[in-house]
Amino acid sequence: MDSTSKSLFIRSSSLTIGESICAVAMIPIVAVIDFLIFATTNCFRYRPQPKKCLYEFTDLTRLANESRFTVNEIEALYELFKKLSNSIIDDGLIHKEELQLALFQTQYGGNLFLDRVFDLFDEKKNGVIEFDEFIHALNVFHPYSPVEDKIDFAFRLYDLRQTGFIEREEVKQMIIAILMESEMRLSDDLLEEIIDKTFADADADKDGRINKEEWKAFVLRNPNLLKNMTLPHLKCITTLFPSFVYNTGVED
Amino acid sequence: MTIVEILENEWFKKGYKPPRFEQADATLGDPGSVYNESWDSQNLVVEWKEERPAPPIITMNAFELILASQPQGLDLGCLFEKQTLQGFVKRETRFTSKCPATEIISKIERAAKPLGFDVKKSNNKMKLLGEKADRKGHLAFTAEIFQVAPSVCMVELRKSGGDTLEFHKFYNRLSARLKDIVWTEGHEVEETNGPVPSGR
Repeated sequence: MDSTSKSLFIRSSSLTIGESICAVAMIPIVAVIDFLIFATTNCFRYRPQPKKCLYEFTDLTRLANESRFTVNEIEALYELFKKLSNSIIDDGLIHKEELQLALFQTQYGGNLFLDRVFDLFDEKKNGVIEFDEFIHALNVFHPYSPVEDKIDFAFRLYDLRQTGFIEREEVKQMIIAILMESEMRLSDDLLEEIIDKTFADADADKDGRINKEEWKAFVLRNPNLLKNMTLPHLKCITTLFPSFVYNTGVED
Repeated sequence: MTIVEILENEWFKKGYKPPRFEQADATLGDPGSVYNESWDSQNLVVEWKEERPAPPIITMNAFELILASQPQGLDLGCLFEKQTLQGFVKRETRFTSKCPATEIISKIERAAKPLGFDVKKSNNKMKLLGEKADRKGHLAFTAEIFQVAPSVCMVELRKSGGDTLEFHKFYNRLSARLKDIVWTEGHEVEETNGPVPSGR
């Protein structure tokens, strides 16, 4: 009895040597994770990770003053930002793959709209979205943000090659992109017909491209073109990301 | 006094403006041209519509088409939504059709009813409600039809209740029955006579 149980023990322990090494190694890893969780809940009071740029209360107030958000809303958006910016590369900055992951649920693939959105958020054009840039861009989507800002953002979004004009080729490229993503089909003739009709309506000086002024007039005639430029979620951001409540420096 | 004398009288001429009769434009085109028009189904539908007031069909410009298709990347609302472990399962699907909207509506209705759905129609929107309920409630959809071009509609089928995976199962069964109205690659070949001229 004893020998069989002993042999069973030896056999089982030899099969799990790799696992037991893992188990031993996990203990410090778990301890580090514990520490990190504890540390980030106090992120407004000290900086546990010097490589990340963590935001102090004064930064959050400044961002609130520069935007349509309250300090509490900025705190809630900071929670969202942290979640997004650490999803693939843990550096407190949103890389393109991380934005892709957030919008497409996968870090692979992508489309020209993602490229434009990322580019518009990345004011400094350094390949990453910092929290300041995140707030500045999301501010445009706030329900109370001025329509001119939304019109301007949408124009820059569709100006794929950033020439200062929305050209026929760019509109065609965008329609082809959406057709490829879905089961919809359109013949080349029909595609041209739709674009012709659009340009007949929007291109006032008939130079084959839409400039900023023409775009503005066109959008004011067709206000539903701005429907994706307002995110109603931004009005209830503090309920969507309630964990900030424990960190807040400002009481409601 | 004769009429001519009245007309020439000073008293009559004061403040008198001779009437001008518009020449009716009798040149409405060759009446025979009606017989030359191609007798395709779109015209048939237009005639029928004139008898009953037709619901206005929404026509789209290129940007409306882009937005209506809701490409991933343009909808930043996704940043705020809960991310499921399954990943992104779309709650809507779209296809284009060369059939007129009224035909699409009746075809969808005829296809959905035997699959156990109650259909309600209003303008170019349809509401389909599943009769049996599973653990997530009744399966419910809206179908909306948009006029993209005079001869092409975009049909959007969106889930408004029930399980998303069930929605996809239903859509597969429904689209099998809608094969003749959905515009697929094969249909494109029938339409053109030879290579399509590219670029303008």
